[in-house]
Amino acid sequence: MKTMQLKTLFHEMKDEFSLNLLTKQSTLEKNISNPYINRPGLALAGYFERFSYDRVQILGETEISYLQSLKPEKLYDRIKEVLTYDIPAVFITKGLSVPDQVVFLANEMKIPIITTRITTNKFYYLLGKYLDEIFAPTKTIHGTLVELFGVGILLTGKSGIGKSECALDLVERGRRLIADDAVKIVLRDDVLMGTSTNDYGHFMEVRGVGLIDVERMFGIHAVRVQKRIDVQVELMPWRDNLDYERIGLTDNIVDILGKKIPIIYLPVSPGKNISVVIEVIAMNYILKTYGYEAAKEYTARLQQDLKNKAKMRKLRMDDKE
Amino acid sequence: MIKTKVTIKNKLGMHARPATMLVKAASKYRSDFKIIKGDMEINGKSIMGVMTLAAEQGSELELVADGVDEEHLIKEITTMFENKFDEE
Repeated sequence: MKTMQLKTLFHEMKDEFSLNLLTKQSTLEKNISNPYINRPGLALAGYFERFSYDRVQILGETEISYLQSLKPEKLYDRIKEVLTYDIPAVFITKGLSVPDQVVFLANEMKIPIITTRITTNKFYYLLGKYLDEIFAPTKTIHGTLVELFGVGILLTGKSGIGKSECALDLVERGRRLIADDAVKIVLRDDVLMGTSTNDYGHFMEVRGVGLIDVERMFGIHAVRVQKRIDVQVELMPWRDNLDYERIGLTDNIVDILGKKIPIIYLPVSPGKNISVVIEVIAMNYILKTYGYEAAKEYTARLQQDLKNKAKMRKLRMDDKE
Repeated sequence: MIKTKVTIKNKLGMHARPATMLVKAASKYRSDFKIIKGDMEINGKSIMGVMTLAAEQGSELELVADGVDEEHLIKEITTMFENKFDEE
């Protein structure tokens, strides 16, 4: 299970969320290990069954006004009980002020209390999105990610098979490069997003030449920062007896981070123009998305033709006139 | 060079599935392989070629193999026709 230091969250988002720490600096030494958020209304009211204390807690106007309505002794006892749980952090929205007792107790129990100026609903959404991103499953794959006609294609295959050269050829044809050699993949909202592993530019190693700067060389339109991955194309050396897809009635599927996408095993041999085939794969993917499958269409027409012919033959044979 | 005649026995004729079966089997061999139907002559290792024949049930085909392993090729392919490509 992934964890994230609260300190990192606080310093990274301090300005964007306009955060302010009410407790001591040392209370930030906490880890978040759950991407979900909880609003502890019921716990504050004294109901602790199924209290999701391991989540980040958000207190809004309702919770704060409830706390203010409590008598000081009761407030003290209740807050003390809530804070005995190992809560990663408590966020107060709308810049609301918190009773001094609460801050005092939180310091005692080493639980950070942080205020934000953002409203509850918006903060709930923003923090959720931020945590989702942090806790999203990721993976780095050896490959090259390109985009053509809006379709993201992940090129994989052994070193030296020609992934980079293929990407270069595609870029020259006006398509875009996202990442070469290593592609960082994040599963976000059931979508596989691919980016480069670094953010200092689109460099590429071309065997025999060295490093080149794709953005400088081909222009800003030749690159892209991130792209949804729609299809994986595995380039492999041509072997005579291997079973390559001939008609395309069946789809091969690959599992990346639990998400299934189509994979195409593409035989490569010297002198073959792969980039054209990659473009064809992208366009075929678009057609399939729109519900047109050439393989199905062709075989359906062929079958109809065969049926008609067989019928005619039978008619001729049965005809005794 | 071996030549032999076969008849399509399966009900649906030479549609996509048997065509794929036939081409995959033939591609394993090194011999050249042609299929002749009437005035059409196609490469038996090409899927589009085989489907272009549009050979229905009852039609007659001539198989022509030429090469070092021609006998094995013809044997495997004719068996496929006899077994109706594992169809009705």
